[in-house]
Amino acid sequence: MSGSDAWSRPVPSREPAAWGGAPAGEPAAWGGPALASDSVISLRGVSRIYSTGRLQVPALLDVDLDVAPGEFLAVVGPSGSGKSTLMHILGCLDRPTAGSYRLAGTSVAELADDDLARLRSRTIGFVFQSYNLLPRTTALENVAAPLLYQGVDRKTRLARAAASLERLGLGDRLAHEPNELSGGEQQRVAVARALVTDPALLLADEPTGNLDSASGAEVMRLFDELHEQGRTLVLITHDHEVAARARRQVHVRDGRLVDGRPAA
Amino acid sequence: MKTFELIRLALSRLGSARLRAGLTMLGIIIGVASVVALVAVGQGATRGITSRLEALGTNLLTVNPGASFSGFTRGAAGSAASLTVEDATAIGTIGGIAGVAPELSTQALVVAGSKNTTTTIVGTTASYAAVRNQTIWVGSFLTDASNAGALRVAVLGSTTADTLGLGQSALGQTIHIGGLPFTVIGILQAKGSTGPSNQDDQVLVPLTTARHSFVGGDRVRSIGVSVATAAGITDAKDAITALLRQRHGTNGTNDDFSIQDQAQLLGTAESVSTLLSILLAGIASISLLVGGIGIMNIMLVSVRERTREIGIRKAIGARGSDILAQFLIEALTLSLLGGLIGIVVGVGISALIGEIAGWGFVFSPVTVIVAAVFSLIVGVVFGVWPARQAAQLDPIAALRFE
Repeated sequence: MSGSDAWSRPVPSREPAAWGGAPAGEPAAWGGPALASDSVISLRGVSRIYSTGRLQVPALLDVDLDVAPGEFLAVVGPSGSGKSTLMHILGCLDRPTAGSYRLAGTSVAELADDDLARLRSRTIGFVFQSYNLLPRTTALENVAAPLLYQGVDRKTRLARAAASLERLGLGDRLAHEPNELSGGEQQRVAVARALVTDPALLLADEPTGNLDSASGAEVMRLFDELHEQGRTLVLITHDHEVAARARRQVHVRDGRLVDGRPAA
Repeated sequence: MKTFELIRLALSRLGSARLRAGLTMLGIIIGVASVVALVAVGQGATRGITSRLEALGTNLLTVNPGASFSGFTRGAAGSAASLTVEDATAIGTIGGIAGVAPELSTQALVVAGSKNTTTTIVGTTASYAAVRNQTIWVGSFLTDASNAGALRVAVLGSTTADTLGLGQSALGQTIHIGGLPFTVIGILQAKGSTGPSNQDDQVLVPLTTARHSFVGGDRVRSIGVSVATAAGITDAKDAITALLRQRHGTNGTNDDFSIQDQAQLLGTAESVSTLLSILLAGIASISLLVGGIGIMNIMLVSVRERTREIGIRKAIGARGSDILAQFLIEALTLSLLGGLIGIVVGVGISALIGEIAGWGFVFSPVTVIVAAVFSLIVGVVFGVWPARQAAQLDPIAALRFE
């Protein structure tokens, strides 16, 4: 990987400043000097144990993981391996029962639910297998929705959402609702939504799982581009072919990270 | 700013499910409309009763004779013939009294041409018109002169005149009362009262004439007293009581008269109709409660249906409070909009009922404000629980929800 500051500015970009969308006067949450040489993700001894009555089911055990800015990482594992739990923890949707997790310099364990929501809103862009677009809501409103929860005013919100959609080649689909879009288009809308907040981390959970191979390839090409622009990407998949597109892979099996080494 | 955005979001959500929103609001609409309409009906009825009682004479005191005694047997109240014309004259000298009208009454057959009726013949004075709040429709009322001369003149109540087939042209015509000829000098304006003591169905003749022709003696059946101001009623009552005790030599244990107070009657009628209003409003608020439960039901269904949406919103950065606000605003919009429509419908219904019942349009701003506030409270009370459920959803579980 390139230099440690790569993620903060796109380095080998074909579209310079394409994603530098955060307006002046609104510093991105992750843009603090403390992070300049830090990892985006830093897991230390993270476990997640589900307690159902007296039964304790460990979904993740003692996981250490670091993701440097600008990295493109694939977390690979069969279903039931704990990779979804890992994704939830990485995405701040869940908290580890043991160990520490620092996301963009912030220690997640100490955060209250509302702070967690704020961290999610400012730091992470989600792409889900089933797109998870808001139903009966136009593509434009869908992409603008994360900005609503950041308190961005409507005009700016819609302008940024439109810009984000146009960059993904969906400029002519702004007024379409999810059920009027193809699977590939819906996933691109979801990517546009994930990127509209200019997040430090793009977290994708089986992004090609519901797509035909052509659309899937298109989405993977998109991820390649984003990586080239300096985005930090974490891709969760059971598909080795998809995982092979990442620059680095880690494998999860039975709640443990089997191979956490950086790729050569 | 954000609140405004959330309102916009809630409105667009409701707009996309118009039928459901409409049906949900229907419960609140019916509840609020019935509260507004029924309270207005209660107030209208109160006003109707009050105005009818006031038509009987404002600030009116009626002095009635006490019970007669035959040996040790007490007769009915008013059966004694203890009041005299002189009593009436004496009462007229008390300060703060606007008019005194002694009354004598008897039943007699009245014949006009080929028609006849048996009705109440009231012997009274010129003050009767003012005391009993009577106005003349055609002709003239009894005068002091007609009383002094004991003239055989008669003023007809409107119902009596109708029964006898007498109209404007009847002035100067001769009718026979108890076989004696009387000249019709006037017909009273209808007062719209009904029942056994119908003031529209009577014939007024001079007091002196009645005494000479029908009753005899100087006893009167009752004395109507009109007090100058409503505030002076109690004082006037006390003064009359003292005067009559002195004149009749009684001391409170053996009074041979009683004084009936119009204000008492008015107060009783008003408290009855206030009770009626509260009862009606109580019944109506049950439907408001049911409407509120309807909102809660729909909101709970909506939270369940939109579990996934809530999960997505949480994943993209919505806090619990954002979700809470979104659902609460939806519930509030439903209840407030329903409340406003309900107020309009309720005011319309009360105007219609007022028109039919004849007491006119009663608009009570207090009721409208109370109804609006109440529907707001319904929205909050029944919206909070579903909204909290939505806010507390676990985002992971919500995202998995199908």
